[in-house]
Amino acid sequence: STAMNFGSKSFQPRPPDKGSFPLDHFGECRSFKEKFMKCLRDNKFENALCRKESKAYLECRMERQLMAQEPLEKLGFGDLIDG
Amino acid sequence: TTGLGGSAVAGHASDQIENMVPVKDRIIKVTFNADVHASLQWNFRQQTEIYVVPGETALAFYKAKNPTDKPVVGISTYNVVPFEAGQYFNKIQCFCFEEQRLNPQEEVDMPVFFYIDPEFAEDPRV
Repeated sequence: STAMNFGSKSFQPRPPDKGSFPLDHFGECRSFKEKFMKCLRDNKFENALCRKESKAYLECRMERQLMAQEPLEKLGFGDLIDG
Repeated sequence: TTGLGGSAVAGHASDQIENMVPVKDRIIKVTFNADVHASLQWNFRQQTEIYVVPGETALAFYKAKNPTDKPVVGISTYNVVPFEAGQYFNKIQCFCFEEQRLNPQEEVDMPVFFYIDPEFAEDPRV
């Protein structure tokens, strides 16, 4: 949320490093999202246990021009590259 | 590194991500809020909360729907609380800061891909 402040610290939003995801209008990667969400629900919402699923979702986007191609290491998946 | 004041240095972020080491004993619960300006006719909601550690990239989703019979263009920004944590919250990619257009009755998943800077674990204020 934005607010006018006088002299108090206010949060400065920064644009994302790699910009904006195009919308997945046709739901091409929806099944990958669903797998990831199910993994979270099955694992008490612990991100560390669902990284393969989040990697698969982003790979889906990259394969369908819904995300700029990026080496997996630069997305923090260096330890999962062969998985 | 993002440094004080939270200004990220473009071009270094990818290097940081590649080399950062998760601080596995510092578990942080990230919850997502969703506020929609009164004049924007979207239904917009978060889909989850998530537990992350500094130095580990994470994915989360919102869901947006245009319930009207006309296309609606919206733009989102974000806020992070508490303030002291905000400078460590790095969005790698999301749906924000650019106009997004939803077609009539369209519903889409909107991802946020982010990480919390490992330096968070060293800051005594958070």
